[in-house]
Amino acid sequence: MATRVEAETTVGQALPSLVKDVSQRRIDAYSGVRPRSIHSDEAWARQKGFRDCLAQGMMSTAYASQLMVKLLGPGFARGGTMSMAFIKPVYAGDRLTVHGVIKDKRRDGSATRVVVEVWVENQHGEKTAIGHATGLVH
Amino acid sequence: MAGSRTLTEFRKLTLDSLQVGEEFVSDDHLVIPEDIETHRFAVEDDHPWLAEGTAPPTLMANQALHLRHSKYIVHAGLHARMEFNFLEPIRLGMRVRTKGKVIDKYERRGKPYMVTEYVTEDDTGRVLVRGQFTQMIIPEPEAPHGDAR
Repeated sequence: MATRVEAETTVGQALPSLVKDVSQRRIDAYSGVRPRSIHSDEAWARQKGFRDCLAQGMMSTAYASQLMVKLLGPGFARGGTMSMAFIKPVYAGDRLTVHGVIKDKRRDGSATRVVVEVWVENQHGEKTAIGHATGLVH
Repeated sequence: MAGSRTLTEFRKLTLDSLQVGEEFVSDDHLVIPEDIETHRFAVEDDHPWLAEGTAPPTLMANQALHLRHSKYIVHAGLHARMEFNFLEPIRLGMRVRTKGKVIDKYERRGKPYMVTEYVTEDDTGRVLVRGQFTQMIIPEPEAPHGDAR
């Protein structure tokens, strides 16, 4: 018999998106505050060619992880996978939207593996991170 | 001599100085409630991780990403790609460490990159997370070292 999660996930289904306001304070909390860091030292970031401090790409993996945990719960924390490429800088003050679409469901042992295409867009509609994540439904 | 130990000699990170096959080991880290609270605030994660005694799956990702700082002076860099395989949940109160190995280095469009595979494990050696990541190396021009992960 299909579980509730398995029954409620269909290929092509868009997951509820997440909106994230990437403030400097949140970047500082994530990366720590250090001199000569492109994440927390604005002058240094500008010297390196960026218009402001950058959020770590890893913050976007945490957002995608949230999307997957909301969908699959423990089936992501044990047996999940994620692969993401960071294709555009995320700056302090950006507003990001995290998207996911179910691309596949396939048997994996006694479970079903759900494959989700994930991507993150900034307030200009530009993709900043792309990838895919998977998790198990038991 | 009692108390003598080897000091780490740090090298400037460049594509030339980086050795494929080089291995890294992080310090142990005890996962404390403040780690999870800070992560919750930083990425606006409303899941009740602490109530469940578990940690967000990506909580220790920076322990992996920061491995190269244990041997190199990193002027600056950018994170290009990250892969995770979540095998066991990280739990509150665990002591975790990450081991890594440089598996590739290359230049693409004039920019140097390094690829590191990593394993995050608890203090019994049980693997929690494994994967690999790619980082761009921004070489030092003529300035003191900086920090970027």
